[in-house]
Amino acid sequence: MPVDNRRIQGPEVSFPYCLFQQSDGRNKTNSNPSNLLTVRKDGRALLDHRKIYMKTGVVSQAKGSAYVELSNTKVICSVFDPREIPNRVEYSQHGELYCVLKYAPFSCKTRRAHQQDSEEKELSLNLKRALEPAVCRHEFPNFQVDIYVLVLENDGGCLAAAITCAGLALADAHVPMYDLVTAASLGVTGDTMVMDPIEEEERLCSQDVKEGQNHGLVTVALMGAHTQITQVWQTGSMTSTCVSDALSRLIQLCEETYPIAQRCLVKSVVNTISKKSTS
Amino acid sequence: MAGVLLSEAEKTFILHGVQSDLRNDGRSKQDYRPMELELDIVTHANGSARVRLANTDILVGVKTEIDVPKPEKPDEGKIEFFVDCSANATPEFEGKGGEDLATEISNFLSTSFNSGLSFDLKSLCILKEIQCWKLYVDILILECGGNLFDAVSLAVKAALHNTMVPRVETMAMDGGNVDLQLSGDPYDCWRLDIKNVPCLVTLTKIGEHLIVDPTAEEENCSMASLVLAVTEDGRINSLSKTSVGSFHPHTLTEGLKVGTEVGIRLNKALKEALEKEEKRLQADKPERSGFLK
Amino acid sequence: MDCHAAMRGRGGGFSYSHAAVIGSRCGQPVGCRRAAASTAMELLSDQGLRLDGRRPDELRNIRCKIGVFSQADGSAYIEQGNTKVLATVYGPHQPRGQAKNKFLFDEALVNCQYSMAVFSTGERKRRPRGDRKSQEMSIHLRQALEAAIRTELYPRSQIDIYVEVLQADGGNYCACVNAATLALVDAGVGLREYAVACSASLANGEIPLVDVSHLEESTGGPNLTVAALPISGQVALMEMSQRFHCDHLPKVLERALEGCKDIHRILDEAVRKHVEETGRASGWGQVDRAGIVL
Repeated sequence: MPVDNRRIQGPEVSFPYCLFQQSDGRNKTNSNPSNLLTVRKDGRALLDHRKIYMKTGVVSQAKGSAYVELSNTKVICSVFDPREIPNRVEYSQHGELYCVLKYAPFSCKTRRAHQQDSEEKELSLNLKRALEPAVCRHEFPNFQVDIYVLVLENDGGCLAAAITCAGLALADAHVPMYDLVTAASLGVTGDTMVMDPIEEEERLCSQDVKEGQNHGLVTVALMGAHTQITQVWQTGSMTSTCVSDALSRLIQLCEETYPIAQRCLVKSVVNTISKKSTS
Repeated sequence: MAGVLLSEAEKTFILHGVQSDLRNDGRSKQDYRPMELELDIVTHANGSARVRLANTDILVGVKTEIDVPKPEKPDEGKIEFFVDCSANATPEFEGKGGEDLATEISNFLSTSFNSGLSFDLKSLCILKEIQCWKLYVDILILECGGNLFDAVSLAVKAALHNTMVPRVETMAMDGGNVDLQLSGDPYDCWRLDIKNVPCLVTLTKIGEHLIVDPTAEEENCSMASLVLAVTEDGRINSLSKTSVGSFHPHTLTEGLKVGTEVGIRLNKALKEALEKEEKRLQADKPERSGFLK
Repeated sequence: MDCHAAMRGRGGGFSYSHAAVIGSRCGQPVGCRRAAASTAMELLSDQGLRLDGRRPDELRNIRCKIGVFSQADGSAYIEQGNTKVLATVYGPHQPRGQAKNKFLFDEALVNCQYSMAVFSTGERKRRPRGDRKSQEMSIHLRQALEAAIRTELYPRSQIDIYVEVLQADGGNYCACVNAATLALVDAGVGLREYAVACSASLANGEIPLVDVSHLEESTGGPNLTVAALPISGQVALMEMSQRFHCDHLPKVLERALEGCKDIHRILDEAVRKHVEETGRASGWGQVDRAGIVL
């Protein structure tokens, strides 16, 4: 791992203090997880999703940009003009997407480093895989489109929010696409399914359960008009019936989000036209 | 992988073969190619295995070291995967060429080992909050003829099965320092429990069909692949799409079903192969193996 | 020493200065000498046997296999004692990658990469390649192999040679050169003759030892590595660490070159056997009625 020596590093061995104070908070969730899930922290029912807010054109320097908010999860994405793939000798028939997902240092409970860690790299790859099928990559051979996603605040469902946000930003940047991509996530622990989990619930779902029970997280990205799943990412341990059950629920949620994203784009187009006609 | 160039006609030929359930090498859609398994071939490692799946050749070495547990998981050991795409496999991997593929494979492996149900990291703890074992699982890709994920996971599971972790005899606290005394007998070791360690199954979509164990040529024909981590009792530990294309929901649910069945079969076959190989090693004079077989 | 080879490879003069630098870096000549004397005693027992029971002029057991992989143009695997090395050759082919614009009009570009599996050494390595040591090894490999390959036969093309050390137990460089030569033979690349490498050391301040193992390397004796073209007796590369008196050089070098010749005999036999096996279908190597080998 290359060390970034331009920035001031903190002391090498330091732990976030919440590890030591968490004992009461963690105990509460540990002792009765059912309690956490019957009455969710934000008062939702188990299979309700959070309210979603989307906006395009938030970064003026970028070719296209978008902002997505799932109550406390806040994600911003900017997309830049296609440019020739750097350091590539061979000609590539298809254009490439270069995706970088980064947590802002202040976005999580513990401070994130400035350099991409392996979790962020994995999420970036998933983001790339989710967007690739939607973009008409043959339209810009030997070029790459840079997509930068910054998670401003993390409260669960980061990857899903990032995919939806990047899809909108790509459309806003006039990158030719087959369809819009929307994504959603779901958590499983024991017999309960939690739609669109917040961070605390995500942690609960990744915690171990008794042998033979299901637990884990599933994220699905969908192209709504073509009903094509562009990415599916599951962690934890569950039976295949549980996975397919989760898939069908997630597809439904993605389809519900799709018209919201469409409306957001239409609004931005209307705005641009009205702005042009007034000027 | 290694500069596979196929014309449209060749691709159509492969596609038609898959449609009539008879692939180029005579397999049906859900057949694997022949595999070879060898254990204990790297002397410097605590456990090692080599898997050869037709043209795909994987060498895995597991080394154990002593480390300090993570503060958020004080009672768990650590496991780290490192994939090295050797330039021996294809000149494209020279220098840093294979790094993207390597991180993809190692990330997927660590995700599928993440759940406490698949691999018991607690057994690697020596002294809570102070010392634990760290397993370095180093994967060396020597040749790739398609289906890297499956071959890598088989080799990893076999190498973990082969791993001998030294037994700790005594522990003495000396102020803040811990004094560990390992058993003097190099054969006084314990084995890891690999019962619930998953095998990866890659399902490649060619035309409208899903096939297992694609060759490099078949991978070239396909737009989308699905990788599942399946355990012995058919549970899915991790699931992801790996190449550029996309899936219809129906294909995906079908893939889940097929993948689970294949995964159970694969785990069973590996278990049998491991037992057979163990027996061979325990025999008085094991036959000379390695590349000189 | 042939002038041509001396220019290509590192000449003996360079090696001397290299050794001198290392020697002076120690800074404590007395302690150094004492340590050297005590370890030198251990290198050779009173019965004249080495740490692993070999005689001073005895090589470690060599086993090799040619053509281990099907996708590469040439491949070979060699075991010298416990040192295990795999080599593959791709090419000659059109220059690609970064070398695309660097190709030579009158000869082939030889591209070598040396890497070590992270589990090859006793302590786990952090990186398989890219560190200074492996870069140096890559360059030395290229120097030795360029001397053997008839590069003028393949203008505007590139030959890739990749070696991977699977297990390291001393004499890694030597095993790599030998494996690469076998892989080049398997790939059908035109060679002047085999490039063979061997190492030698000096015990008790007078007796030269051939084919140094890791144990002997780590006890701190001098180590002379020679890559040679044994038929014509040319030296393609010579490198030395630690020091001994100049008077000893001829006999240590002689021992190393003898080792090269021995290894050459073993490799040549392996190649002949391999060719005979692969060519058996068309009747090669079989003796006809008149007693002539076909």
